[in-house]
Amino acid sequence: MIPDDRQEQHLLIAEYVLGLHDAQRQQEIAAWLDRDAEASRMASQWQEHWLGATELLEPAPLPPRLWRRVARRAGLARPWWQLAWQSPGLWRTMTASLLVVVALLLGPLRQDAPAYTVVLQAPGEASSPGWQITVSNAGDLQLTPLVESRYSAQHSVQFWTLKDPGKGPRSLGLVEPSQPMVIPASQVGGVQSGQLFELTLEPPGGSPGARPTGPVLYIGRAVAL
Amino acid sequence: MDDTPPDLEVGNALMLACASGDRQAFHQLYLNEAPRMLAFARRFTGESASAEDALQDTFVQVWKNANRFRRERGSARSWLYAVLRYRLLNQHRRDSRYPAGDFPDQDWPDPGLSPEQCYLAGSDRKIMIECLKTLRVERRRPILMAYYMGLSYEQIADSLSVPLGTIKSRIRSGLKTLQACLQL
Repeated sequence: MIPDDRQEQHLLIAEYVLGLHDAQRQQEIAAWLDRDAEASRMASQWQEHWLGATELLEPAPLPPRLWRRVARRAGLARPWWQLAWQSPGLWRTMTASLLVVVALLLGPLRQDAPAYTVVLQAPGEASSPGWQITVSNAGDLQLTPLVESRYSAQHSVQFWTLKDPGKGPRSLGLVEPSQPMVIPASQVGGVQSGQLFELTLEPPGGSPGARPTGPVLYIGRAVAL
Repeated sequence: MDDTPPDLEVGNALMLACASGDRQAFHQLYLNEAPRMLAFARRFTGESASAEDALQDTFVQVWKNANRFRRERGSARSWLYAVLRYRLLNQHRRDSRYPAGDFPDQDWPDPGLSPEQCYLAGSDRKIMIECLKTLRVERRRPILMAYYMGLSYEQIADSLSVPLGTIKSRIRSGLKTLQACLQL
């Protein structure tokens, strides 16, 4: 029951704003505030004044997880599994990793078991593998595309390796974008851990000299299996 | 002329932007207001996990209902704290336990300025603090226990080991003094 006396009403509102009453009485007062604009205005005035008391509190550092929770619950952030599902980088990385695992598992069963593997990635983009290389024990090199690539007819993609920095890179030939390719051991030469492989964008027919001239598309180092 | 303090005005503008679906405004509102709200919620609950839950629920609710914000009814900050306190009170009454810790009145003079002096001395934002200082400690303390800890009449009486009637009388006397001091 709401008192008629204005002073009593004011006190009731002050008590309500502090939450001093039990739940049933609080609801009763809330319903009254919804009906009575003047009472609602008084409640707002108390609430505004109480803000001054919050300024005595030292602000707390916000844990980063809290905003992530708020954003997720508010529908502002997609869940991690959805982001991952739609992430090309993750899929490429998983594909490359899977190839390595498959190569490791199947390797002992095959005559031409891979001795080295290389994941070629776009420069500066560690999560963007573009090609996978496996080098068998016999020294044959298998180049496998992991992504679809297209370049204008004005360019060729050339494959290079760098074993000895003193001698510089050596061309392993032109590559058809998005097409797998095998290079025999006789052309590859010996492979060693850390040996550099790269694909560069060159003029039609390849670099006019013995060195790459165009930008590096993908690059990676050999890892012994 | 609008004499709303600048930070409250920023909060109002951000809340209005939230009402139109501006996500960046919502994030900025969170960055501006959440640190002190988290401190408030921690003092209320006495621990971090419940405080963070309450703060999360508050901001989610505010984002979803931002179109109901009416500047003429009060500031965005006032609304945020009203939602937060409501959430905390519900949780608190369900748990029916008292939070640990003190509230920030330990160094307040008793008594401070007279109500008339403090109204003249205080800006709009500081006047509540000045007015609270005018209360004798046996009246101020239970009021602050209600505000910072969300305790009901019964819980305050129980916590202070004072008869319920005495606590009600002290709090109501204190609220009357505050009302006069705030010129409400």
